[in-house]
Amino acid sequence: MRITRRRLLAGAAAGAVGAGAGIYELVDRLASSPERTVVSRRLREQHLLEGVETITAEGVEVLVPPLHHRVVTARVRRGTDLRAAQAELERRLAGLDRRFEPTPAGLGVTVAWGLPYFRRLVPGRARTHLPVDLRATRERNRPVGALLDAVRFPSDPRDTILEDNDLAVLLRSDEAEHVDEGAKAIFDGFDALEQTSVRRGFVGGGFSGRQGLPKQMAVAAGVAGAELIPDGAQLFLGFTSTQRAAMGQGRIANLETLGYVRDPHGYFRGGTTMHLSHVHEDLEAWYLNFDFAQRVSTAFRPDLEDVRPNAQTVRQSPRDVSSERKVERGYHRFGAIGHSAAIQTSSRLRQRHVGPDGTVYEAGTAIPLRADFNTLDNPFAWSSQPQRDGMSRNPAAGIHFLVFNPTSDDFHRNRLAMDGVLPDGTKLRFPPGSRGQGFNSVLKTTHRQNFIVPPREHRSFPLAEL
Amino acid sequence: MRKIGVVLLAALAVAVALLASGCGADRAGQSAAKAAAQGCPARALAGWQRLANRIHAPVYCPAWMPDPFDGVIGGRWNTIDSVSPDRSYLIGFIWLEAGSGELHVNLRGYPGRTRIPTCTDVNTVNGVTRRTKIACFSDPTGHRRVAGIDATVYTANQDADRWHVLYAWRRGGSLYTLSQHVAVPLTYRKVVANLNRMLRSLVLVRPSS
Repeated sequence: MRITRRRLLAGAAAGAVGAGAGIYELVDRLASSPERTVVSRRLREQHLLEGVETITAEGVEVLVPPLHHRVVTARVRRGTDLRAAQAELERRLAGLDRRFEPTPAGLGVTVAWGLPYFRRLVPGRARTHLPVDLRATRERNRPVGALLDAVRFPSDPRDTILEDNDLAVLLRSDEAEHVDEGAKAIFDGFDALEQTSVRRGFVGGGFSGRQGLPKQMAVAAGVAGAELIPDGAQLFLGFTSTQRAAMGQGRIANLETLGYVRDPHGYFRGGTTMHLSHVHEDLEAWYLNFDFAQRVSTAFRPDLEDVRPNAQTVRQSPRDVSSERKVERGYHRFGAIGHSAAIQTSSRLRQRHVGPDGTVYEAGTAIPLRADFNTLDNPFAWSSQPQRDGMSRNPAAGIHFLVFNPTSDDFHRNRLAMDGVLPDGTKLRFPPGSRGQGFNSVLKTTHRQNFIVPPREHRSFPLAEL
Repeated sequence: MRKIGVVLLAALAVAVALLASGCGADRAGQSAAKAAAQGCPARALAGWQRLANRIHAPVYCPAWMPDPFDGVIGGRWNTIDSVSPDRSYLIGFIWLEAGSGELHVNLRGYPGRTRIPTCTDVNTVNGVTRRTKIACFSDPTGHRRVAGIDATVYTANQDADRWHVLYAWRRGGSLYTLSQHVAVPLTYRKVVANLNRMLRSLVLVRPSS
């Protein structure tokens, strides 16, 4: 059956429950679910998804994320009995645990909580129990929490909205029905939670030579510049994002793993922090203003050579990792910094580290664990504040950027590096929107918020029971 | 005699176009081909003929252009009329209305050479200006074959063709290009449709002196 643009837009106009279903129905018609490993154990970490397949694309190991993604943000209704709500949410989540295995074939559910929840509803317990970022505390000579309010970065527009949601629920699966069932099981008839937004999207490369989901979806939705996306691209901007070496592995993004954090009572052990933002992507600017070589320079680093023409998966292994000095040299020589190279100055391990569970992480290992996905939301599939959020019914290319880092400050360091503010304090100055500043000239961030992801046993209304 | 030559060439171009496009040719294509069959529009011909004579090489006159363009060199919409010492030319048509958008079409020719020209990418950061030599037309993404022209589609272009989709083809030892800016109110898809239609409508004008 052919999906028309009218039908896509009609779906996008639906309310919170079926938000945007029309557009995203197409995912199942365009892509088939890969074979997945069956896993039944449940890790302490909510943010880790098991059974994620690894394939080889252009000689590089690549993770194959779930096809369907949804984030639902919410506020806790005033006057809610927190203990009762805690029990109810846990009952609902446990029900999902029983129904679905924690893999892309089943359903990944991650419940994350924002500072507004802790400040408004459990302020005293939050003061004593929320983890402290030791590294940031030491550097700034004042206490810095592991969970921070989001900030606007130098390349962000002034009108980027810093959100104040109490919680965000991330649902991931190869099966759209599982995501639907998960959202309904958590939110339907649960008066304690007032939904504030629904964000939907997809990831899917055409690694076996087929057309990837991003191009097919964008073309079907009539997004400007959709035809310019390379056929097999995993994401709208044309390069593979989920290569294994560029993704945090195992428990590296846990609060406790790298020793960045003091967790006073151990309550959040097995947890992490999460950053969630929405970013518009100007596909026409990217593909019409940058030729392939310039896109490689911009996405990776300006002196990168020997990249096969039209390659989509460009190796970013520990031996390809950049440093502040290399980035600075590139800046002075080319007037540009590559997106990956700049971020690697803060996102890769400087030295070998042995985690508390004995896992060895070699120097150059990636720390952030990304779970970002492309979207046609503009900016969300549904919002409780459509005017404030700038909601439009016209689909637009973008990304719901979602990443797990050991602390919010760790994410902020990565994001600042993307703008040329390197971990050693070096500031590489660029005019606003400069092409030299990596992807920034084609991106526009609309919303940001940081969250903490408690371990599974405290995922429901954390600290409410104390 | 000169006019007859133009008409004959145009008729030949139409015949080839019809053969190439087959039964599936759309209405726009037929209309463009019809325009080509009628030759370079009378109002425009003199300007294109003068250009061909000036550079001593054939040029392509568009028999169809998106509204409001009329293809008249020296006319209301022709804002770029440039011939370099090496005889290469750039003829540009621009319509611009604040709040509504912009239309911009360029036609180029490089007599006696077929290599993609080199442009200079200028990047000024922190007061330092860097100039890098790069190909003026890059990221070939396919071909359009029509009316005896085998055009390569380039999507990343420089200078006056920046942010344009550009068709480039070779004829008689020379390189020719046709490009249109992707800008509101147009989308990439609409620009490609316009370029296809313009390509079908091109009429070769030979120098008469």
